[in-house]
Amino acid sequence: MSILEVQNLSKKFGGLTANQDVSMTVEKNSITAVIGPNGAGKTTFFNMITGVYQPTSGIILLENEKLNGLKPHVVCQRGISRTFQNIRLFNEMTVLENVMVGMHTHLKAGLFGILFNLPTTRKEELATEIKAYQLLEYVGLDSFLNEKACNLSYGAQRRLEIARAIAASPKILLLDEPAAGMNPKETKELTQLIKKMRDEFNLTVLLIEHDMKLVMEISEQIFVLDHGEKIAEGKPEDIRNNPKVIEAYLGSGAVHAG
Amino acid sequence: MKALWKKYKQNKLAQGIFLLIYIGVTSLSLFLAQKSVTAFLLLLASLLLLYFTSFKNLTKWLIAGVVLVFLLPFTASNGDGYQSYMEVATLVGIYISMALGLNIVVGMAGLLDLGFIAFFAVGAYTYGIFATAQANNFMPFGHFPLSGESFWIFILLGCFVAALFGVLLGIPVLRVKGDYLAIVTLGFGEIIRIIFNNLDRPLNITNGAMGLSSVTPPRLFGMDFIYPSQFYYVVLVILIFTIFTVLRFEHSKIGRSWKAVRENEIAAQAMGVPLVKTKLMAFAIGASFSGMMGVVFAAKQAFVDPTSFTLLESITILVMVILGGMGSVPGVILGAAVMTILNLQVLTEVTNWLNQLSTSGAISIPDALSPSKMQRMIFGLLLILFALYRPQGLLPARNRKYNEKALQKGSKGAAGETIPEQSPIEKAQEV
Amino acid sequence: MFNEVLHTIPQVLIDGLTLGAVYAVIAIGYTMVYGILELINFAHGEIFMSGAFIGTAILLVLTGIGWVSSLPAIVMLIAVLLITAVLTGFLGMGIERVAYRPLRNAPRLIPLITAIGISFLLQDIVRFIAELKKGNYIVTGPSLFTHQLSIKASSVSSIFNDATIKTSFVIVLVTAVIMMIGLDLFVNRTKWGMAMRAVAQDRETASLMTINVNKVISITFFIGSALGGATGVLFAVQYGTIDPYIGFILGLKAFTAAVLGGIGNIRGAMFGGLLLGLLEMFASANLTLLSHGIFGAEYKDVFAFIILILVLLFKPEGLFGKPVTEKV
Repeated sequence: MSILEVQNLSKKFGGLTANQDVSMTVEKNSITAVIGPNGAGKTTFFNMITGVYQPTSGIILLENEKLNGLKPHVVCQRGISRTFQNIRLFNEMTVLENVMVGMHTHLKAGLFGILFNLPTTRKEELATEIKAYQLLEYVGLDSFLNEKACNLSYGAQRRLEIARAIAASPKILLLDEPAAGMNPKETKELTQLIKKMRDEFNLTVLLIEHDMKLVMEISEQIFVLDHGEKIAEGKPEDIRNNPKVIEAYLGSGAVHAG
Repeated sequence: MKALWKKYKQNKLAQGIFLLIYIGVTSLSLFLAQKSVTAFLLLLASLLLLYFTSFKNLTKWLIAGVVLVFLLPFTASNGDGYQSYMEVATLVGIYISMALGLNIVVGMAGLLDLGFIAFFAVGAYTYGIFATAQANNFMPFGHFPLSGESFWIFILLGCFVAALFGVLLGIPVLRVKGDYLAIVTLGFGEIIRIIFNNLDRPLNITNGAMGLSSVTPPRLFGMDFIYPSQFYYVVLVILIFTIFTVLRFEHSKIGRSWKAVRENEIAAQAMGVPLVKTKLMAFAIGASFSGMMGVVFAAKQAFVDPTSFTLLESITILVMVILGGMGSVPGVILGAAVMTILNLQVLTEVTNWLNQLSTSGAISIPDALSPSKMQRMIFGLLLILFALYRPQGLLPARNRKYNEKALQKGSKGAAGETIPEQSPIEKAQEV
Repeated sequence: MFNEVLHTIPQVLIDGLTLGAVYAVIAIGYTMVYGILELINFAHGEIFMSGAFIGTAILLVLTGIGWVSSLPAIVMLIAVLLITAVLTGFLGMGIERVAYRPLRNAPRLIPLITAIGISFLLQDIVRFIAELKKGNYIVTGPSLFTHQLSIKASSVSSIFNDATIKTSFVIVLVTAVIMMIGLDLFVNRTKWGMAMRAVAQDRETASLMTINVNKVISITFFIGSALGGATGVLFAVQYGTIDPYIGFILGLKAFTAAVLGGIGNIRGAMFGGLLLGLLEMFASANLTLLSHGIFGAEYKDVFAFIILILVLLFKPEGLFGKPVTEKV
């Protein structure tokens, strides 16, 4: 069953075409990868799904509901949350608070509840703290709960971003180069974490990644973008041997030589 | 010495005794002295001392309450300077409230607002117009000035009108990004002042540059409020309300979303924080405190005119926030108190002292050097020095520390129940 | 009513161009600094004001020793302009060195705050010196050009009223235009101008291309401030009376002009300045008339702010700028 459907999505910045007629269907509960050389338009594609950019043309459907024209925070409320290629944490806030912000859309406290510290507000706040803490335990950052986010190591910051995204209880989790800058050990742990999250939170994961080992190991479906266009899609083994993909990555000479 | 200090830091009893002696000595000297600014300031400083003790929060609040409600007015009442002390204390309260409001906008939400005084002006004019005969000029019904009893309703009204202005100004202003915001708010602050200054025609609403005079004093149970010593209590009540409100908001969903927007707008939005609404809320709540204090200010001065609401005032409040520490509630309270006292007491005292020296012929100081004229230079220097060398301010903002043990316990207690959460996503509930 | 508006057009054009030229040159200072550092240099208006005071002070001193009457006025003016430009240029460079450079990596709020601080500091230092020397902070300089010309616009068409021009108007306009052309040539034709544009594009890459970024920024501040200071002198010559607080509102309007033309765009700033000057003069001449007396001429400042806000809301890239989107 598909959860996210993208039809003929295009994005132009002035004269520059970042995405051209990209269509894809993401299966529910799958781990799907979007790969492609640098500048292939992968992040632009993510930005359109999450409402940061509005597509020039094309349709985005989440469970058959149109996402076009929605603001990023509404897209998050609908059930898509994400991480960023260049880490975007709330640096001066604590690790725990970062995750608590992720739960924003699910908190019902109103102005009066907060002002008079009503029992329901207090209860909700306590539950938020505990759930945030559990998520920190889940990604192994529980001992840093009161640290400022900017004081964490690079790998830990990436995991915190994931915990924050999960806190929004999304249906689809978008990961933009989650393994960038990680060493092999960290990448391996991340691979396991992504699989585990998918199973335990009943998630659909859509990720952009350059680390082919991770991509091939983890994903069930792969889409390949080049120069803004989709050039291939399929299972990892198909993609591995697809001449178009090899050409895109290694140049045209590689195919003939091989 | 260091060991002794450490011991003191851990020993609550020693702290208590020291604080008690300090408060005792300073209040006694304020009580006995005819007019001693030093004793008055030192007694106020006891609150800072109190802040650094390791008492429980409730204890701190109780002690502060006793000092402010009973001790300070009582001990000051014995000398000639009573009303002038109370005047200073009242203004300190008014400025603290405003600085706390601006702190929400600048410190927490990270939006530099250079026209903040406009909301104070809105509050002041709200009461000023209806508590003088001015409203007769344009109101088709009713008889003005309203009686002094209406003052209490006007405090709330001032709060709402200022919040409304916050939203109205915010809607266009907040579409503007970053540095531009500063300049647009500055423009708006000036626009409001110019409008108040010129709104005596075609319909005389604000009486223009002449201002509104003989504003009806507030009245409660048949008693008119005319002395600073009476306004002191009004301000104190509003101030305590302000502080509680700010603290509540800071550690709530709303406070977190303000800080998230300040730290990273794009990420905040991606996490479901509605940008415009969050910023507007910061504007409105920040403005509402100023609106309330504007009403009090109008009643206290019994006179409102546009010269009280210049850019210099906006910057003064900004200096308070920067000096104390952006985003830090205790810091901003300290910053506002220090700046107000510096402005009202220290500068005037030094000026008087220099004048005396000049007239007695000891030294001659040119009039241009008179410290009370040097506000801009002093504020400018403070802004530069703090921005360069201590951008976090006197008492830097601190994040709330969560109790790890309690959370671990809660996490175990709720295990399997909260996580993994399979429940379908509730439709987003906004505030 | 339309006819009455037409009557005033010649005078509005002349006054508007003079004021607009002043805005334009100051706007260049804002736009250059913004282009290169993405910082609103709040203190720029105060540099203009300092220039006005420095120029007036030099003129007063020279009058005191009797040089003004012995030399031709135009020579005097050029000398004063040059001295003031160099002094305010160094002032601007110093401000950058002390107040902005240490904060280049600080959160964006912080340099804005020092800029406001510098602005206040300069206002008070100038007030202090003026008051100390003259006893009053409102200063009137000696008038260099008193000759008045009359343009018989009514001879062109009877619907126009005659307009009067002070000679100083011609001088202000000509000097401002010379400064603008000079700057345009500098930025587009010289090595340093190219370095400046490179740093504005991408500071890090420029530094990799062996461009000394700090030096380029210093030069930018020097030029912007020198132009601002020289304009201050022109302002003092044209309008006679100055006080330490003229820089604030004028700076704000010049900033509006810079935004109007597209911030970072030097030619845009020139155009924006002239346009704003014309609009403002038109408003102050006709606002009362057009609104049937509801809005007085005092609202002309409001008018400039409203333009600023409207531009920022609906065309934040200005008339000649390119829209930018933040990279995610």
